[in-house]
Amino acid sequence: MSPPTQAARARRIGRPHALAVNVRGTANLVASLIKYLSAATLVPAAVAVGYGETPVPFLAAGAVAVVVGTAVERATRGDFELRAREGFLVVSLTWLAAAALAALPYLFSGETQLDRPLDAYFEGMAGFTTTGATILTDVESLPHSLLLWRQLTQWLGGLGIIVLALAVLPRLRIGGRQLFESELPGPEIESLSTRIRDTARRLWMLYVGLTIVLIGLLLAYGASGLDPELDAFEAVAHALTTIPTGGFSPNARSLEEYAAVTQWTVIAFMILGGVNFALIYAAFVRRRPGRLARDDEFRLYIALLVLGSTILGLELWLGGVIEGGESAVRHAVFQAVSIMTTTGYSSTDFAVWPTLAVMTLIGLMFVGGSAGSTTGSVKVVRHVLLGKILRRELDQTVHPEIVIPVRLNRRVVDERTLRAVSSFILLYVGIFIVAAAILAIDASRTGLDLRVLDAVGVAAAMLGNVGPSFGIAGPLGSLEPFSDLSTALMIALMWLGRLEVIPIVVLLTRHYWRST
Amino acid sequence: MKIFLIGAGQVGTTIVQALHDEHELIVIDLDPLRLEPLAHRYDVATIEGNGASKAVLAEAGVAMADLLIACTSRDEANIVAAMITKAIAPRTTTIVRTTNPEYLDVWHEGKLDVDFIVSSEIETAHAISRSIGVPAARQTDVFADGQVQLVEFDVVEGSSPAIVGVPLREASLPPDSKIASIIRGETMVLPRGGEVVRAGDRIVVIGSPAAAQAWSELIAPGSGTVTDVVIFGAGRAGIAVARLLLEQGIGVRMIEADRDRARLVAEALPRARVFHALGFDPDFLERERIGDAQVAIFAMRDDMKNLYAATLARVHGIGFTIALVHEPPAVEVFEHAGIDITINPRAVTAEEIVRFAHDPRTVQVSMLDDDRFEVLDITTRPGSEYVGKTFKEMPIRGALIGAIVRDGTAIFPRGDDVLRAGDRAIIFTESKRVPEVEQAL
Repeated sequence: MSPPTQAARARRIGRPHALAVNVRGTANLVASLIKYLSAATLVPAAVAVGYGETPVPFLAAGAVAVVVGTAVERATRGDFELRAREGFLVVSLTWLAAAALAALPYLFSGETQLDRPLDAYFEGMAGFTTTGATILTDVESLPHSLLLWRQLTQWLGGLGIIVLALAVLPRLRIGGRQLFESELPGPEIESLSTRIRDTARRLWMLYVGLTIVLIGLLLAYGASGLDPELDAFEAVAHALTTIPTGGFSPNARSLEEYAAVTQWTVIAFMILGGVNFALIYAAFVRRRPGRLARDDEFRLYIALLVLGSTILGLELWLGGVIEGGESAVRHAVFQAVSIMTTTGYSSTDFAVWPTLAVMTLIGLMFVGGSAGSTTGSVKVVRHVLLGKILRRELDQTVHPEIVIPVRLNRRVVDERTLRAVSSFILLYVGIFIVAAAILAIDASRTGLDLRVLDAVGVAAAMLGNVGPSFGIAGPLGSLEPFSDLSTALMIALMWLGRLEVIPIVVLLTRHYWRST
Repeated sequence: MKIFLIGAGQVGTTIVQALHDEHELIVIDLDPLRLEPLAHRYDVATIEGNGASKAVLAEAGVAMADLLIACTSRDEANIVAAMITKAIAPRTTTIVRTTNPEYLDVWHEGKLDVDFIVSSEIETAHAISRSIGVPAARQTDVFADGQVQLVEFDVVEGSSPAIVGVPLREASLPPDSKIASIIRGETMVLPRGGEVVRAGDRIVVIGSPAAAQAWSELIAPGSGTVTDVVIFGAGRAGIAVARLLLEQGIGVRMIEADRDRARLVAEALPRARVFHALGFDPDFLERERIGDAQVAIFAMRDDMKNLYAATLARVHGIGFTIALVHEPPAVEVFEHAGIDITINPRAVTAEEIVRFAHDPRTVQVSMLDDDRFEVLDITTRPGSEYVGKTFKEMPIRGALIGAIVRDGTAIFPRGDDVLRAGDRAIIFTESKRVPEVEQAL
């Protein structure tokens, strides 16, 4: 056989593929997800009609999302298949797009506090990522419908947009597990069912169930006069941001005005929001409460909450900030729980607390709740595993040949997961340090009244999806005075924190995009 | 009894040696070279063929068998042979040898249709654990899930004066125990009240685990308890030993040369300290202070490696060494090299199978001192001449009831206690009296 001609050879070899990632297919899927998500705007539209406010901003936002979504879907139509690699891009882009969808009603409403696109986008990202920090300086001037939209974005973002899509949409054109795992927090997710779709459905049913219980309780407190400050709107609004550990409140002073019983109830549900949902499901739906006591992460989670509350209480009591009695205990516990579960509610203005208490709260911002919960930050299970990794390192320093598997709940954790945990914590802390430095430098550049400790707090609160921090960024403050650069950085931090850093950082590597 | 034996390797041969006199044996093996020497030396029938084949078993006449012993080195072949036999002859008792403790677990759960399973690894582990748990013991056995122990001691000059040189009725013996027998030279002396134990005697004691420990302390004062054991080789036998020792609260270090194996063992045994290292590396032995261990167990597959590692460990200061040996001639080599105890897993397995073969009612039969004495574990029949009698009324006919198990609990009877029907009696007796004792109960 004669050798192929040069032209034939070149044809067979072909041109190199520019990208190893299916961007077209990714765009198609993201557009489709946003199109469905836009249905959520109908809820505040209905509320607007109920309160005699204008539903136009929401309907317009929904229409824009549907039109843009459909257009992108059409433009990228084709027969394609998405694989694990595209999952990172899908998740990252979906959350960017979702924050844009959340921002549209703010822009269309003509609300002067949010008329700059960057500010509106910040508010949207703070919503979906359940961060609970705000640009708003006067929350209470907003119409009911817009306030409810803020709350609703946190509720939708709490368990995850993709998890919602998996549970609700008839068919997602990608292997669900990869997406599911890059979105739901924590290194290891225990499947509730062999099928990922069933798992997603059960998680959402549990989530909706818990929300309904809290709405019922808070409505009852308001109606029965147990808490005269709590009206029906506020009851629903707070229920929507408690389970997802969001932290948005329609009140300027967060939960400060409410009765003790309301605050204690919210404490309980914030704690619940920080528990692994798979564990809640096993303990309450499958009626195996013994699972709670046997779970390593849950035990440490509760122990850390108790420890954090106690330390905070002692500091405040010894510092003479709060007086003794039930209210002192309540304020210490409330703040410790709110910060550690990355909710961001406040029962008192903790920005004015002494430095030692502030340091304690910053420390708690790095704890987070359990894996598979709605909380942000590092998560207790990673601390558990890191502690075990370090202990093993020390042992191996003395005994180089020793073989020690790391165990969690008596099961051996594979080495890949352990490496992922170490890498995550390194990346997380690295990003936090760089961000804190940038915020502090940028603040001094623009003459913003932000102490270094405050900058550290803001960086930790943004990356951990907590929300309020200290100084001007405290629970009663606003992020409005920050420069555009700082605002953009904070948006990036919330996004990184919600998706747990790695799925986004992966996109910055050359080998993600190229085969060679 | 008509006994079918499948597999004529080391285990099979040992069983033939023990059973050929009293029973009719039919040995099946694939390899004629293994069958030939058996047929020459013993009066047994041999059949060349696959013991896991229904055709072979049926033609050999397994339907007429009282007992089938499947003891090839292949677990699955043994299990299949037993199951086919059960299908052909439901009344035949089947004994299966396995090297995988997992089959033992399945059998304990009642999910394997086999009458009795002997796991080489578990038996080996018990043999080692016994010799460590009671350091002065020469050989021990357990009955009733470990509630009753049988321990054999060599009385030495240093043994406590509380038991040596005084008449037994005046000696202060640990509670819940009895001397079953005193072996002096070639004779067995019955432990009557006036008898005196002397240095050089070998005594057999039946008692609770606590009593066995107390005896150990009396026989070898100050030997202390074992807390630090090193096991070389994390094969199945090594793991089985480690598990048993860990259950007794003994600290275990394991040394395994294969990385994956080491990881596997570390995952399976959370409380063991597992090292991925070669047991022959003096630097490693020095660094980890292996020489400080009280006992070293050599459980590698290769006899020569075991011998080398054991010798090296002795050089590094380990006082007590136990080695597994796989080839029978190796025993002498090891003993000559100064290894304290050698255990042949196949011999241990064969011994256990032979014990079971003695009497279908016997849960566990222990053979002592080359078959001269036996310990029987027999459930008392309602019609027995002993039922309703107190223990002091029973005539001694070269047999002694060391303990009874009533409703799952071990009782160490005193003279006034009464034997009831249904009690499991653990009896120490001379081999020649076994049929007589079995008849009486």
